[in-house]
Amino acid sequence: MRLLLLAIGNRWRRDDGAAHRALELLGPQPGVSARSALQLTPEMAEEISPFDGVVIVDADIEPGATRLAPIEANPAARSPLGHSIGPDELLLLARKLYGFQGRAWLCRVPGVDFNEGDGLSETAESNAAAAARLLLEMTRQGLR
Amino acid sequence: MSETITISPVTRIEGHARVSIYVDDAGEVDSAQFHVVEFRGFEKMCEGRPFHEMPGLMSRICGICPVSHVLASSKAGDAILGVQVPPAAEKQRRLINCAQVLQSHALSFFHLSSPDLLMGMDSDPGKRNIFGLVDADPDFARRGIRLRQFGQRIVEILGGKRIHPSWGAPGGVLKVLSTAERDEMLGWVPEAYETLEIAFRRLKSVLDSFQEEVRHIGNFPTLFLGMVNEDGEMDFYDGRIRIVDSEGNIVADGLDPNRYATYLGEASEEWSYMKFPYYKPLGYPGGMYRVGPLARVNVVHAMGAPRADRELREFRQRTWVVRNESFHYHQARLIEMLYSVEAIEDLLNDPEILKEHVRVNAGQNNSEGIGCCEAPRGTLFHHYQVDDDGRIKKANLLIATSQNNLAINKAVEQTAKRFVNPGRLAEGMLNRVEAAIRCYDPCLSCSTHAVGQMPLSIELIGPDGSVLDRVAR
Repeated sequence: MRLLLLAIGNRWRRDDGAAHRALELLGPQPGVSARSALQLTPEMAEEISPFDGVVIVDADIEPGATRLAPIEANPAARSPLGHSIGPDELLLLARKLYGFQGRAWLCRVPGVDFNEGDGLSETAESNAAAAARLLLEMTRQGLR
Repeated sequence: MSETITISPVTRIEGHARVSIYVDDAGEVDSAQFHVVEFRGFEKMCEGRPFHEMPGLMSRICGICPVSHVLASSKAGDAILGVQVPPAAEKQRRLINCAQVLQSHALSFFHLSSPDLLMGMDSDPGKRNIFGLVDADPDFARRGIRLRQFGQRIVEILGGKRIHPSWGAPGGVLKVLSTAERDEMLGWVPEAYETLEIAFRRLKSVLDSFQEEVRHIGNFPTLFLGMVNEDGEMDFYDGRIRIVDSEGNIVADGLDPNRYATYLGEASEEWSYMKFPYYKPLGYPGGMYRVGPLARVNVVHAMGAPRADRELREFRQRTWVVRNESFHYHQARLIEMLYSVEAIEDLLNDPEILKEHVRVNAGQNNSEGIGCCEAPRGTLFHHYQVDDDGRIKKANLLIATSQNNLAINKAVEQTAKRFVNPGRLAEGMLNRVEAAIRCYDPCLSCSTHAVGQMPLSIELIGPDGSVLDRVAR
């Protein structure tokens, strides 16, 4: 079972970098690859295709608890102006273009401060720690 | 009764922005504005940081064109040191900048604009996206991704990572290129040529069906600004600034990028956080100018690369000498991708790029430095003032998207007046407004990327503030 953890976000926008912090707190895990990026881009579709599972970890502007949920490859039509794509879009590209057969989840790490600056708010730091615990449990259970 | 149509937000153009279309009492579109509501705080955040750390910090501004910021920042650092970088370092810098342009343009052309171009502006919006393209032509979509991967792979090899490469430094670069790495990069070149040949063929085959859009989506006279080498050819890395007018006359030539503040002004508008740069001799807003792919192919005498020059000659024959139509940014982008691949091939075949002397060491010799290069979206300036300890006292970043700000606003207004009928809102109308913006591929790069993306919507708002009509997708 090969799992990819993909953290995205901008560390210079404070809590937008919460996903990277979650992976730092988790640390290296056997059988798990980890990668950090500012945003999701189309070529990542090929990169995730060899894995059995992928977890996209992202900050969330909605308040609440850290949570983990499957991603549905059923994206709504979006305005084609942005330079990044959504987790559902990435999953669909991976399935359609590169035959990705694995499972995919989105780990949301709520934040409260997305202004310019580095360092996380207390809320985001706490949520990043919760995300690390969720991911640890997941990797230990082997994607069950 | 006057109304306001608001498209808000223009989702994730690397930031937060919205478009308002103002309707007059007669029910006609009166004007439109492209609002940028994001504050660029990066200049302030730089203050107090050592200048030699700036390339690494600047790489974090943007996930799409970090290399350009690294290069402009490194060149500003070179100026503070008062040094000329070794030839191998300059060639590496040129190589990575071409790779940056290639990957960024590939994203813009294949993923953002191709759905419009190949499926039509009025096609089903549910399918007029990258997924519709994947269903219709998976090979073309896959080739677009591969072309972008080529550029990204070069950035990764040189920079150590794709998104925030920190290989650049004042005085040179931090890595010596190996033969194996050079050979791997060269291995991508034939496929890149093949993909671009297909892309040119596809674009040319549909251009005639977009005559209405070509004429009315951002077609107006402006100045064009870009960097050229001493022969007047394309140069993404170094050179002098040339400005031409809408008829191709050279307005200014041989301008020193280090003196940009003497000929470029920066105005502000209360309704936008983004600056509005203009050409000072013509004042504001009369000094509106455009930068980026269309501007660059307008200012050069030639590309300086045989394949790209063939395409440039055909482009100019088809559309006269200087193109004012924003729609032609797309074809200009393809020409620049081809130029980039040729330049990459030439640089990699130059043995000097493998030399081990890639950085000069020096102390601080100047209290001010300006770095300039061509980024994917246009000319980029980094201007630093430092104290005696080399810490940034003041930083000014003049980015490409802001230099196109006046033109983007004008393009949005022109497009809205032509295509938006306030009495009968249709998705295709809104798509054309977006398409006007998309020509410039704007990057408002200080964005967040958190979950919680909002939909694009257009609203008709009455004088009392009530929403009279709304379209969202």
